[in-house]
Amino acid sequence: MNPFKHKGAGQRIPLVDGIEKVTGRARYTADLFAPDAYVGRIFRSPYAHGDILRLDVSEARALPGVIAIITGEACDQPYGVLPIAQNEFPLARGKVRYIGEPVAAVAAIDDATAREALKRIRLEVRELPAYFEPEAARAAGAVLLHDNRAGNLEREVHHEFGDVAAGFAAADLVREETYRCAEVVHAQMEPHAAMAAYDAERDHLTMHSVTQVPYYVHLTLARCLGMDAARIRVIKPFVGGGFGARVEVLNFEMVCGLLARAARGTVRMTLSREENFLTHRGRPQSHTRVKIGMRRDGVITACAMEMTQRGGAYGGYGIVTILYSGALLSGIYAIPAVKYDGYRVYTNTPPCGAMRGHGTVNARHAFESLLDTMAKELGLDPIEVRRRNLLRAPTETINGLKVMSYGLPQCLDAVEGASGWRDRIGRLPKGRGLGIGCSHFVSGSAKPIHFTGEPHATIILKLDFDAAITILTGAADIGQGSSTILTQAVIEVLGVDYARIRVIANDSAITPKDNGSYSSRVTFMVGNAAVQAAENLKKILVEAAARRLQAAPESINCMGEIYCVHGDSNRSASFNDVVAEALKGTGTITAKGTFTCPVEFQGGKHKGGAVGSTMGFSYTATVAEVSVDEELGTVKVEKVWSAMDCGRAINPLSVEGQVQGSVWMGMGQSLSEETRYEDGRHIDASLLEYHVPTIVESPDVEVHIVESIDPNGPFGAKEASEGALASMPAAVVAAVENAIGVRFTELPLTPERVLKVLADRKRREARRRRAEPAYEEGAA
Amino acid sequence: MKSLVRLRVNGIAREDAVPDNLLLLDYLRETLYLTGTKQGCDGGECGACTVLVDGKPRLSCLTLTAAVAGREVETIESLARNGRLSRLQQAFHEKLGAQCGYCTPGMIMAAEGLLRKNASPSVAEIRAALAGNLCRCTGYVKIVESVQAACAPPNGVTRT
Amino acid sequence: MEPLPDFQLLKPRSVAEAVTARAASAHARFLAGGTDLLANLRSGLIEVDTLIDLGAIPELHRLGAHADGIRIGAGVTLEELAAHPQVARDYPALAQAAAGVAGPTHRAVATVGGNLCLDTRCRFYNQSEWWRAGNQHCLKLAGDTCRVALKADRCYAAFSGDLAPALMVHGAIAEIAGAQGRRELPLGELYTDEGRAYLNLAPHELLVALRLPAAGGLRSGYEKIRIRAAIDFPLTGVAVALRRDGERVGELCVAATGTESRPLRFAGLEVLQGMTRDAALVTLDKLIRKQLGMMETHLVSAGYRRRATLVVAKRLVQRLFAA
Ligand SMILES: Cc1cc2nc3c(=O)[nH]c(=O)nc-3n(C[C@H](O)[C@H](O)[C@H](O)COP(=O)(O)OP(=O)(O)OC[C@H]3O[C@@H](n4cnc5c(N)ncnc54)[C@H](O)[C@@H]3O)c2cc1C
Ligand code: SF4
Ligand code: FES
Ligand code: FES
Repeated sequence: MNPFKHKGAGQRIPLVDGIEKVTGRARYTADLFAPDAYVGRIFRSPYAHGDILRLDVSEARALPGVIAIITGEACDQPYGVLPIAQNEFPLARGKVRYIGEPVAAVAAIDDATAREALKRIRLEVRELPAYFEPEAARAAGAVLLHDNRAGNLEREVHHEFGDVAAGFAAADLVREETYRCAEVVHAQMEPHAAMAAYDAERDHLTMHSVTQVPYYVHLTLARCLGMDAARIRVIKPFVGGGFGARVEVLNFEMVCGLLARAARGTVRMTLSREENFLTHRGRPQSHTRVKIGMRRDGVITACAMEMTQRGGAYGGYGIVTILYSGALLSGIYAIPAVKYDGYRVYTNTPPCGAMRGHGTVNARHAFESLLDTMAKELGLDPIEVRRRNLLRAPTETINGLKVMSYGLPQCLDAVEGASGWRDRIGRLPKGRGLGIGCSHFVSGSAKPIHFTGEPHATIILKLDFDAAITILTGAADIGQGSSTILTQAVIEVLGVDYARIRVIANDSAITPKDNGSYSSRVTFMVGNAAVQAAENLKKILVEAAARRLQAAPESINCMGEIYCVHGDSNRSASFNDVVAEALKGTGTITAKGTFTCPVEFQGGKHKGGAVGSTMGFSYTATVAEVSVDEELGTVKVEKVWSAMDCGRAINPLSVEGQVQGSVWMGMGQSLSEETRYEDGRHIDASLLEYHVPTIVESPDVEVHIVESIDPNGPFGAKEASEGALASMPAAVVAAVENAIGVRFTELPLTPERVLKVLADRKRREARRRRAEPAYEEGAA
Repeated sequence: MKSLVRLRVNGIAREDAVPDNLLLLDYLRETLYLTGTKQGCDGGECGACTVLVDGKPRLSCLTLTAAVAGREVETIESLARNGRLSRLQQAFHEKLGAQCGYCTPGMIMAAEGLLRKNASPSVAEIRAALAGNLCRCTGYVKIVESVQAACAPPNGVTRT
Repeated sequence: MEPLPDFQLLKPRSVAEAVTARAASAHARFLAGGTDLLANLRSGLIEVDTLIDLGAIPELHRLGAHADGIRIGAGVTLEELAAHPQVARDYPALAQAAAGVAGPTHRAVATVGGNLCLDTRCRFYNQSEWWRAGNQHCLKLAGDTCRVALKADRCYAAFSGDLAPALMVHGAIAEIAGAQGRRELPLGELYTDEGRAYLNLAPHELLVALRLPAAGGLRSGYEKIRIRAAIDFPLTGVAVALRRDGERVGELCVAATGTESRPLRFAGLEVLQGMTRDAALVTLDKLIRKQLGMMETHLVSAGYRRRATLVVAKRLVQRLFAA
């Protein structure tokens, strides 16, 4: 019926802001023209843990060219993304808790002066015992990083759903294993930057930043600067990737604002790559003990997991992370009983945060790995064992999560076929192997972090005399293409040409508030708001067309660029004429659309039950093919097949790009990426030592899109930018086992780790052979 | 120390008194306001700052401005002709070789350098030529496809 | 990112001018491709007041046949070296080593001289100024203790250039120009096993060229181990040159980089002469084990790098035997 169906949704169109990116015209924060800006620099703690005894900035202040210096005294308002865990200050107060923590900041006329000033700042501390591993931080008698958190536990979670004991009792096979994942970080290519302009005459502050959450930056600036929010304006220029690094307000943003006010002018800060690593907020190192009960036929009867995360020195998103890890044990397979114990521990390392696949990646890795091991023990094919445990949508999980659409079965079929699994598994030469992993992720958290009673997403469409439609959105496009998706959504409803639409995003003075780009909420929530806004606009246009064509609104056919009377195509009006009609008497038209997740989707009633709740889960199955060199311990991923159920691919090109980027990032975590500290000192804070894979060892990733058409998503769409990541580590580790017969439980699989495990195994085997020579020979 | 440096940037002759220690990256970004060239690391580790010097890819963050006196420097801003995208730019745009776009100027300039000496590179040659350019968004799959698309025979539409 | 310190840039036109300029200031440095020096200057590792750009000295850029072998100017880029037909044909280890350095954009400017004079590397040294200050510095720069070996009175920072071992197994001779004139020495003797003063060069001395004798019947190969397939310095890099005598070893040279403060040519390999491949491999393994003195200078353990060195050496010998 809809004549322009699929003009928007389903189109493989390039990014609406792609031309700026390929021409170099795109302005990122560091590119903004501000010749009058002072240079801001941060003085960072060289101590891992200590009481600040003295902080002397007088010598620095005396340096000619220094405009302003601020210390912890500049702000006594703690902040943090979760209202219940705000324990961080823009600049340390009283105590320093990790090496690299901001302690003071300087604004100077140029970079050289700012740096010289930093050298003249004197910090004296009384050093305290520092803890770099959760065990040490939790040990009896350990000094507390934060006085109110006994045992240095930021959060403990104990959840049990279903009858776990009965589940294990009903199992034919119960296995338990511990998996370790090293800490990793986003390493987005654009280094952090911010620019704050303080208008002393008006007491106004304008902030440009690299953020994924301009609205939180706005609120937090108001809080930390003690300013009325109305006096603040936050603008997000082009952003060079985020992956979660920028989903909470970061210390340098607050520091930049405070410095600008102190300097009574404009301050620009660009952080070095090393400082990016210290700002951190990456995926925490985790130790995961998982136990699964399984029937002989592969059906899972129960699961128990104990997860310890090394959270770093401050709260950040930590509570959400530790809750996510448990909550997302459900929602992918039918598991009748789940027990989860989570421990988020404060340590004297840079604070962790949210990273692509927030909370689920390491837990999923552990679960999928053990699932594989048990399937092997029972003689079941790894794909088959997953098929035995599928959900049936719509359903509600034992922890109160709703699953409305579920394309995992089709994902499994797709990668099984594409990878030639059945013909190849077990038949590859030694040193080469195939492995599978599955994952899921939320399409936006159904319950917002800040409960304000406002809708979860708002879009405004502006239509004026020029007959152009401007999408006003606060949703942050950080390279994932959200502006493009919103454009396609509006076009799908209105049928107008692409040229008619432009997007204005992320200027708090212009665009409606948006919670930001995290937990993959934008396509689903903002997309739905865009659809509603477009429908509201369409209604106005149809009525105008009816007036113009002197027909009843019900008889008007909207053909996109033309409106006509149903059954009488001679009676038609061009879009421009319809707009002219619509503007009569009212002038500029704004149509608003909003979206709010209904309460029934907001999760279980238990404490922390909102985390993990969503209106739609994406699903992924990934098969990786690897080759392993047993003598050198090197692993290479040769090819990846990844199938994702994103509900509906509003832009298939974009979905492919997101899936490829996700599984590739999962590969990095599996093989080479790891942030390391020695005595709390970040020892690989560069792009030379933190090994983001290069193009040479990066495999082809073949993407298969599965469209389950979610009943609530915009045109059936769910998220596509995060979920695939968590399927990759398990797939790689399984493929390595398939190649050389050894299962690794520690990530990343650096050559050194691989060889160590192989050597240990050889030693063990040799010992066993010595102990039972006859048996060995008989068995061989 | 400053010296008078003559060079051509994007076809335009320049004559500037530049400090001897001025990096080409900073000269381009801060003196000429050509901010298309990006900085992604603390020196030589990411490729985001790649420009062409005498037609060959070069890391502008490890190049002294004074050391390229008399040479021809080309940046991402120079590729479009008559306001139209170059074939590489077009391909990166249409094939989604750019997501966040931050690595893109460096990536495209490195690819441009490759295509000038090898008009139809193999996948292995493409990977080898872009080996020093990190991208965190794409997993590189669509970057390889973009470069391939740019050297495929144009389908009727020729861009000059 | 740290800005560069202040310095003047000189552009001499001849070797003599360059040497004179270098002798004029204790804080002068030669600048070749700059891919090591400028990065190190930015991290505050080196104090300079003068950089002497070697780019305009024609003599340094010559590359071509010489006597029976080849002569390679110190200013030849790694890209040129890797692509040179005579190098690829007669000295494959050298072509492979050159092609494996850093990334392609580095190699387009990085030079042979810069690669051979590359500063030694250590996980406690190749860090930012802020980092090193917070860690109370170390012997190599501004400190009094070695963080790798606390009691040591020397620095163990590892030499990590890829070219040196490949040149050494081909018997390269280094030509050096200094204020007192020119001298030459076998490349191996250019180095000392001390991370601070790793070069036997007087401050005013310039590496002018490398001469390689004719390859004769030598087959060679180079392989490096690193985490990623590009960009990374070698965790270990091994060059092997082999002359076969039927099914036996005629002559075998093995050298490694990334292992200690100098590129190491393994001694005592004459005993392998006349051995079968497999016998030679066993003895070689022992000889290498005895001579490798790796320290924990990398983020990857010495144990792994040791092991990898042995594996790579073995594989190269096998490959060259099969070729
Ligand atoms: C990200 C990255 C990765 C790298 N990876 C590798 C790698 O894998 N393998 C590797 O070997 N190197 C690597 N390097 C280091 C460097 O790029 C190379 O070693 C390169 O060959 C150095 O040559 P250059 O001409 O750029 O030297 P420069 O930086 O110009 O000089 C290096 C040193 O040599 C001195 N010097 C230069 N020429 C002469 C001469 N003729 N006589 C006397 N002294 C001289 C300089 O004064 C300076 O001290 C890497 C560097 C970076 C930034
Ligand atoms: S080996 Fe010792 S002295 Fe040398 S750089 Fe490393 S820590 Fe410093
Ligand atoms: S900015 Fe990273 S290589 Fe130049
Ligand atoms: S597109 Fe974002 S880093 Fe490459």
